[in-house]
Amino acid sequence: MLSLSKRHWSPYVAGIVIGLLQIPAFLLVNTALGASSSFVTAGAWVASLFDAGAADIAYFAKYMSADKYIWQSALVIGIALGALLSARASGSRRAAFSPAWTRLTGVTSLGSRLALGFVGGFVLLLGARIAGGCTSGHGISGMAQLAVGSTVAVAAMFAGGILTAALMKKI
Amino acid sequence: MSTIWLVLLGLAMGAIFGVALEKSRVMEPGVLVGQFQFRNFTMLKMFLAATITGLVALAVLNGAFGVALHPKTFALGPVLIGGLILGVGIALAGACPGTALAQAGAGYRDAYAVIAGGIAGAIFYGYNIDWIGAALSFGSYGKITFADLLPLPFWGLALILAAILAAFLLVVLERLVPWQADMDKAEALLDVDAVQAGHGYSAPAE
Repeated sequence: MLSLSKRHWSPYVAGIVIGLLQIPAFLLVNTALGASSSFVTAGAWVASLFDAGAADIAYFAKYMSADKYIWQSALVIGIALGALLSARASGSRRAAFSPAWTRLTGVTSLGSRLALGFVGGFVLLLGARIAGGCTSGHGISGMAQLAVGSTVAVAAMFAGGILTAALMKKI
Repeated sequence: MSTIWLVLLGLAMGAIFGVALEKSRVMEPGVLVGQFQFRNFTMLKMFLAATITGLVALAVLNGAFGVALHPKTFALGPVLIGGLILGVGIALAGACPGTALAQAGAGYRDAYAVIAGGIAGAIFYGYNIDWIGAALSFGSYGKITFADLLPLPFWGLALILAAILAAFLLVVLERLVPWQADMDKAEALLDVDAVQAGHGYSAPAE
């Protein structure tokens, strides 16, 4: 059922596997699953290359040193490695960018898609940092802890996504 | 815990996470945006299955072994406005912060632009945290959970919600939209030639 060479797992199996990762996260790292903090860790190091004062900003300093952010940075690199392994093992080949974008937004060149992707990534992390978490931290982890704020965050995320997707062509 | 151990643990857990995101096609832009257009329910199903599993796991860890929870603060301004902006970003990027890394690993080159944009966004927030925080500082209620608001222990409420969500998934959602049908759509969207020729996946008539 959990074969690496299979092209697909049902969303239920995948969700159960991801949900079970909460157990080592809580027991071994004393935190919940999350992903967006790692972008602050990366950003803090990048900023400190250009600005000697960046590490003195309290928000950046926190994300450069604490154990759970070191763990989370490794986690997101692991996500890339796991997806690479999974795609290779199952022969799932991909284009330079998903053909779904041509259908949704009409882009046909990689350059245009890179530009929209960069803007999307910027908005994505700006929102996640303002909200204090993303679809993992607020979504999967916050809902599993019955957190009131995370439930509001998830509702707002779906609202923002639904409104934006409504402006695109139907997939 | 030593840094090397944290890194190895993170890599191992991340690899499992990444395999699950690739196998379930939740990291496909067409699947994510398709969820927001109510054309593909893979993302909601994976999200709810992960939430249900987490609820049950944490009900046991917290209820039976006293493991501490880490709920985030309910600050209405940041959560509402940040959540809306994040949702717009998911649709434009076709990714969440975690799935952007899965896209890069699976071979999408535009994922690197999303990741670079994300790092730029995080840097922008770090330099502007003071005024953004001040502008959105309304409605802070602390780290509350629904178990704090109701006369039930966390484990009890978590198990009840898990049962309700599981019933919704299996009795309602899976009957209305079988997952295999959504997976076939996701698979068709991988094929550039077929999609450009309009054969890959025919959208329902407008």
